[in-house]
Amino acid sequence: MDPVRRTAELLDRVRAALRGRTVAEPGLPYVASREPGGAGSVQERIDLFRRKFEALGGTFLAGPAERVIPGLGELLRVEGVTALFFPEEDPASRQVADDLVPFGPFLLASPGDVVQAEPPVSAGIQSAEFAIAESGTIVQTSRGGKSLLPGLASDVHVALLAPDRFLNGMEDCLEALSADPPRNISLITGPSRTGDIELTLTVGVHGPRRVIAVLPLPAGHV
Amino acid sequence: MPKHSIYKPSGFFRNSEKALADRTLQVALSRTTKTFLERRAAAVAEYPRFEGARERASRIRQEALDNLDAHLARFITEARNLGAVVHAARDGSEAREIAVRIAREEGVSLAVKSKSMVAEEVALNDALEAAGIEVVETDLGEYIIQLAGEAPSHLIAPAIHKTREEVSRLFEEKLGEPYTEEIPALTRIARRRLRDKFFSAQMGISGANFLCADTGSVVLVTNEGNGRMVTTLPRVHLVITGIDKVIPRLADLPVLMSLLSRSATGQALSSYVSVLTGAKRPGDAEGPERLHIILLDNGRTGILQGKYREILKCIRCGACLNVCPVFQSVGGHAYGWVYHGPVGSVLTPLLLGLPESSPLPDASTLCGACEEVCPVKIPLPGMLVELRADGRAQGLKSPAEVLGMKAFASVMSRAGILEAFQRMAGVVSQLLFKERKVEWLPFQLSGWTERRDFPAPAPQPFRKLWKKQRGIRPWTR
Repeated sequence: MDPVRRTAELLDRVRAALRGRTVAEPGLPYVASREPGGAGSVQERIDLFRRKFEALGGTFLAGPAERVIPGLGELLRVEGVTALFFPEEDPASRQVADDLVPFGPFLLASPGDVVQAEPPVSAGIQSAEFAIAESGTIVQTSRGGKSLLPGLASDVHVALLAPDRFLNGMEDCLEALSADPPRNISLITGPSRTGDIELTLTVGVHGPRRVIAVLPLPAGHV
Repeated sequence: MPKHSIYKPSGFFRNSEKALADRTLQVALSRTTKTFLERRAAAVAEYPRFEGARERASRIRQEALDNLDAHLARFITEARNLGAVVHAARDGSEAREIAVRIAREEGVSLAVKSKSMVAEEVALNDALEAAGIEVVETDLGEYIIQLAGEAPSHLIAPAIHKTREEVSRLFEEKLGEPYTEEIPALTRIARRRLRDKFFSAQMGISGANFLCADTGSVVLVTNEGNGRMVTTLPRVHLVITGIDKVIPRLADLPVLMSLLSRSATGQALSSYVSVLTGAKRPGDAEGPERLHIILLDNGRTGILQGKYREILKCIRCGACLNVCPVFQSVGGHAYGWVYHGPVGSVLTPLLLGLPESSPLPDASTLCGACEEVCPVKIPLPGMLVELRADGRAQGLKSPAEVLGMKAFASVMSRAGILEAFQRMAGVVSQLLFKERKVEWLPFQLSGWTERRDFPAPAPQPFRKLWKKQRGIRPWTR
């Protein structure tokens, strides 16, 4: 039987089940109200994001490139990273990868090098769509043909943020994307983790074991 | 029922005896249920808006069910407009048949799977494997129990019944890996073993935590990141989910997520929330070229019609399991099917029928803790009582039990007779039970004393003491 006919039959069964329905209370359909409050200024949102993100074990680096890149290089070396990869269509992440090479040894890899059974220890670098302050969440989407691989298949995920992309809550993020949702909206809150063996928290199960957020600021910014 | 399951819901009491005698299981349960409760309590304590969110979430889920026809129709239309192929399955048999046909038509020989209770409900893996398709579970807990040939024992921690030592011996035996009791090392083994599967599978299989009617989106929540890989890397994505997962709007997601993560794992938000809207589009870097969504009925329309509709509000957080003293003692396998704990004791009889699962509504102390923690305010204890009454109406209780309960009700509803019984029991108790415990009871009452002593009736019942303290005459009602 074809899917259209089967779904039509399903809907008939649902309608029959609801025949003679009594609405739970007047005024439905119920629309969830927005939570009041939230951080006001951009700086407040950035500060709140930083607190929440660091509480999840993330590392937040903000400052001019000449200060942030060496620090980032050091962190990646400590993690044993030997390969850097980034979406071809994301010039900001390519720039960061290029700038990191002298602080290596790092090789610039293509996503194809990482998509294998025994890949090198890698850092995936990409520009984030949004950062959500309330939960310390990084938002990546497939909008505009952006690749999701850096935050998916790497050992260390480096997310590049911009001051105007910090939002208060998930509500703001979904509102911004709901008019024409991209195929994939990924809300990433901390590293890949599991508690499946005796509820003991372990990071880096399938996705990145470490997440680093980088907020580049103009030269001379303190 | 998965072929590897050796338990049946009808055998709950026998299953429980085995569970209580299993020392390894008892160690595993004691290590984990306490941690679950502590994490949830901490997460709720630091979120003062939790109670308000419960009320809102309950209303959202109720609205979704009261108007499920409209919301489901909208979801189907929106998903199809975005290139998804939406299927409907009346029961498990139809769901398996559809999934196998999809796999064959798409030329699938290897599928990677993210945890799905609905897939367990219809025994999807067994059907695909019978059709020659390799299915690899990728959630760490599911991977462990797949290797062990067992069924999940918890909604969100399927291998909760296994200790690290057991997991290590399993990896040693099945994968040839060296023995280690280091949990991070065990996790790295799974990462290494599964990585190639992710990149070589032709199909990814997942469930859905929510289906958003207004956008046709499938929402998937994981902590490990396997869900993202399963739904991004293979060229086909198969979603199998119940019709009850529909929510009216994408905008409803934040409040539901604020409760799901806190109630399930004590996190403010799970590590990965993926909102998946349609198949791969022109210009997309990755994503499945084909998206199939199987909407499963399997008795849900029957539940929707009746007095148990609210059970379909469940968002599968597992909080009611962790807080239940029965689950804490016997674990998930004792319930004999896919759904465990209080929610399982309601859902299983409704999906399989009471004759198949008549002991489950009795697998509760009716303490009410499950209702207190439920993030969508499902009145679970009331439903369990109602199901017990249904069991009696269907002739599933023994004549002795019916007679006993009638006698009990008759005494309890007459204050004078109750007091007379209590006074008599007090006198008899003083004569017969000097050590203040009853070690043996006859006939149907023997269940109370088989494994523990029953407390002897107090020499002076509470009612008598109360009246004495208040200066009320003894036989005044």
